[in-house]
Amino acid sequence: MTRRDFLKTATAGLAVSLAGRPAFLDGADEYDLVAISGEPAAATKRAIEAMGGISRFVKKGQRVVLKPNMSFSNPPEWGSTTHPLVVSTLAQACMDAGAQRVVILDYPLRPAELCLRRSGIQEACKSIKGVHVLALEDRKFFREIKVTQGKVLERVEVFREVLESEVLINLPQAKSHSTTGVSLGIKGLMGLIWDRWSFHSRYNINQALADLVAVIKPQLTILDATRALVSGGPGGPGDVQKPNLIIAGVDPVAVDSFGVTVAPWYGQNFQGRQVEHLLIAHQRGLGKIDLDQLRIFQGRA
Amino acid sequence: MRTLVQAFSLSLFSAFFFLATYKLPDWLPVDLYLRLDPLLGLSAILAGKEVISRALWSLIIIGTTLAIGKFFCSYVCPMGAVIDFLNPLFFRKKSSREMKNEASFRKIKFFLLILFLSAALVGLSLSYLMDPLPLLTRFYTFFLYPLIISLINLILDFLRPLFQALGWIDLSHLSYPQPVYYMSFITFLIFAGIIALNRFAPRFWCRYLCPLGAFLSFVSPLGLFKRRVNQECNECGECQKSCPMGAIEQDPKRMRLPECIQCQTCADVCPKEAITFSAFSSSDRATNVGGEFSPIDFSRRGFLYSFTGGLTVAFLAGQTPSTPLQSKRQLIRPPGALPEKEFLKTCIRCGECMKSCLTNTLQPCLWESGLPGLWTPKMDLRFAPCEQNCNVCGKVCPTQAIRSLSLEEKNHAKVGTAVLRKEVCLVWAQDKLCLICDEICPYNAIVFRPVEGYRRPVVIASKCNGCGFCEQRCPIEGESAIVIVPGGEIRLKEGSYIQQAKKLQLEFKPDPGDDKFILEKSGLKVEEMKDRREGMPPEEKAISAKPKGFL
Repeated sequence: MTRRDFLKTATAGLAVSLAGRPAFLDGADEYDLVAISGEPAAATKRAIEAMGGISRFVKKGQRVVLKPNMSFSNPPEWGSTTHPLVVSTLAQACMDAGAQRVVILDYPLRPAELCLRRSGIQEACKSIKGVHVLALEDRKFFREIKVTQGKVLERVEVFREVLESEVLINLPQAKSHSTTGVSLGIKGLMGLIWDRWSFHSRYNINQALADLVAVIKPQLTILDATRALVSGGPGGPGDVQKPNLIIAGVDPVAVDSFGVTVAPWYGQNFQGRQVEHLLIAHQRGLGKIDLDQLRIFQGRA
Repeated sequence: MRTLVQAFSLSLFSAFFFLATYKLPDWLPVDLYLRLDPLLGLSAILAGKEVISRALWSLIIIGTTLAIGKFFCSYVCPMGAVIDFLNPLFFRKKSSREMKNEASFRKIKFFLLILFLSAALVGLSLSYLMDPLPLLTRFYTFFLYPLIISLINLILDFLRPLFQALGWIDLSHLSYPQPVYYMSFITFLIFAGIIALNRFAPRFWCRYLCPLGAFLSFVSPLGLFKRRVNQECNECGECQKSCPMGAIEQDPKRMRLPECIQCQTCADVCPKEAITFSAFSSSDRATNVGGEFSPIDFSRRGFLYSFTGGLTVAFLAGQTPSTPLQSKRQLIRPPGALPEKEFLKTCIRCGECMKSCLTNTLQPCLWESGLPGLWTPKMDLRFAPCEQNCNVCGKVCPTQAIRSLSLEEKNHAKVGTAVLRKEVCLVWAQDKLCLICDEICPYNAIVFRPVEGYRRPVVIASKCNGCGFCEQRCPIEGESAIVIVPGGEIRLKEGSYIQQAKKLQLEFKPDPGDDKFILEKSGLKVEEMKDRREGMPPEEKAISAKPKGFL
C-alpha cells in the first residue's frame, strides 16, 4: 500500500465516521457502551443491535440464563423490578439466535409465586417457547464455588443453572439502595447467590460485591433505566423517575458507572467513582469506571 | 353405597382442605365442613354471645338430622370415614370382648357435651378439643399437609436427575416450600390415640367420646327414618354383633335410638331381611317392634356433675396471669383477629388459617396464653413475615375469629409495631453497613437517620403495621435486632380498619418519595452534628451530606 493510498483510505474512513456513524458500523465491536432512549421493548431491541446483535453473545444450541430483578412482588411502575418487556424482548432474541433454552432466574426477597406474578415477567414470557421463568428459594439449586481472587469472600454458593449454562446476561433494574447507594448490575448479581445476608452482617458489602463480580461474569449487562427508583430503593415504594434509557455493555463496571449518571439519586447527582463498590471493582481491574474513556453510542429507538 | 358416600365426603373434605391456600377465590367456601358443624357454631355463639353468620350454615345439619336421623356420623363425618377406613388396616380381627360397663361409658360423650357447653356458657371455648372436625383439620394441617409436601419434594428430588437429563427445566427446578408447625407431634399423638382406641371397640371414639355425635343424638330421635324390625326376626343376633355403634340391645328388636347412625349395616347383614329403615312402618307386617323413641339414659346427677364441671373448668382456665398479661406478651395475632377476649371465645382452633397461610408465619400456641389459648394462631415473625398481597387467613376462618378483609383493609389491620434493639443492631452497635430491615420494609417505615457519624435505622411507628419482614430478615443470630411487639395493634370487632387507622393518624399506604429526608428532613442538621461530634474520637468517619453508599 502506498502512502497516498493509505491517506486516501484513512481520510475516507474519517469522513465517513464524522458524517455520522452509518448503520453498518453499529454491528461491530465498536462501542463499550450503548445507551438507547425509548420505550422498553423498542429500546432493548435497538440496544442489542447496537451491541452487534444478540448473535455476538448467544450461539446456536447454547444455554442462556437471564438475570432480571424480580425480587419484589411489585408492579413495574414501582421501579423495583426489571420491566417485563425488557426481559421478554431479550428472551425472544436469545431464542431467535438459536439458544437451546433461556432460563430467567432470580432468588426473590418476597414469596416467589407473588414475585413472578406481580412483576409481570412470568406473564410477558409465557408464550415464548423454550423460555422458563424461575424464582427459586431452595438451597438445593445452588452449588458452592471458590472465589480465588477474593478479598473477603472465600467461597460462594451460586445457582447451578448459572454455572451450567454457557451464557449469562444480567438485566438489572436501576434503583437506589440504602446501603450501596445504587443497585444496578453488580449489586443485582447478589440475586444469584444463596447467602446474601452475610454481605451485610459479616463482610464489607462493597468489597464482597467486587469479589462477586470477579467470579460471576455476565457476558452482557443490559441495565433497565426506563424507570429509575431514585429513592426508597431497593424495594420501594419511592420516587420513580423516567430516564427512558436502556444501557447495554460488556463491561459490568462501565454499565453501572453510566447508570449512576442517568438520574439523581436521593436528589443528588453522582458519578460512578462515588459509588464505593464500583470504585473498588474498578481499582481491582474488573472494569472501566471513567465515562470519558469509554466509547459510548447514544441513540433513540 | 355408604362407603362410597363416605369416601366422597372425605375426598371433598380433603380437597377443600388443600384448596385453602393463597389466591383462594372468594366464592369457594373451603371451610364448609367446619361451618356445618352445629356444635362448633353453638359453642362459639354461646361463648361469644354473638351470632356468627357463617355458623348458621350448621342449621342445615340440624335440620337434616331432625328429618332423617344421625346420618351425619355414618355418611358425612370425615373423621368417621377415617376411622372406618383405617380400622381394617390396623385391627384385622374384630375384638369380641364385650367392654365392661359399656352403658356407662356411653354416657361419657354426653357428659363431655354438657361440660363443653356449660364452659362455653361462661365464655370458655373448649369444644374444639374433641369435636371431630377441628380435630381432623388440625391433624391434616400439622401432620398430613407437611408430610405430603415432604413426600412430594422427596419424589421430585429423586426424579430430578432424570428431569435434568431430559432437559425439563421447569420440573427440574420444582420444589415446594416445606411448611413446618409447632405442636405437630402433640396433634399426631392425639389422632393416633383416637385410632388406637378402636382396638377396644369399633368406632370407640364415636360410641363413647364424640361430643358432636352426642349433640346430634339429642336431635336425631325425632328423625323420621328409624330402624324397624318386623316379625320375620328370629333373634339370631347378627345385627347386634355387626352394629358399629353397638346401638342394638341384647334383644335385637330393641335399640338405643340416640346411638343409631343410620348406617344400615344391620339391615344388610340380617339373614331374614327383617330390618328396614323407613319413614313409616309398612302396613301389612305392621310392627314397630323396636325403634321406639328411647330417651338418652342420662342421670340428673350426671348432668349436674358435668354442668358444674364445665363451669369449674372455665373458672380455672381463667385463673392464670396469662389472660391479664395478654397484651404484655409478645403474642402477635393474625391481622383482622377480633379483640383478644372475643378472639379466644370465637376461635375454634381448626388450624385452617395456619394451613392456608402463604408464608407459614401463623403457628399454633401451646401455653403462651394459657388453656384458653391452646392451638390459637399466633404470628411467628422471626420465622416468617406476613405478606401484603395475601388475606387468606380471614377468608378461611369458619367462625370469623379472624375477620375476612379486603387486601386494603387487611393491610390497615396493624398487628404490632417494630422496635429496634439498638444494643444488638449491627448498625447501631457495630457501625456495620446493614440495611436489610429498610430494604425489605414494604411501608417505608424504617428510615436511616444520621446519628453519631453514621446513618442508622429508625422505625417510624405510625407507618409500621407489624408485617414482620424486618424481624424475619434481620441477619443477626438469635433473637432479631428488630422485633414486632403487640403495641399499637388494631383489633376491631366491627367497622373499618382503614378508618380506624386514619383516626389514629397511621399511614400504611406506600408513599413514594419519603426517603428524601435522608438528605434534608432528617431532623438532625448536618451542621449540628458536626458540633456535637467534636468530643468524639477522631477515627469515626465524618458525616457527609451524601446518602449511604456514595463516596
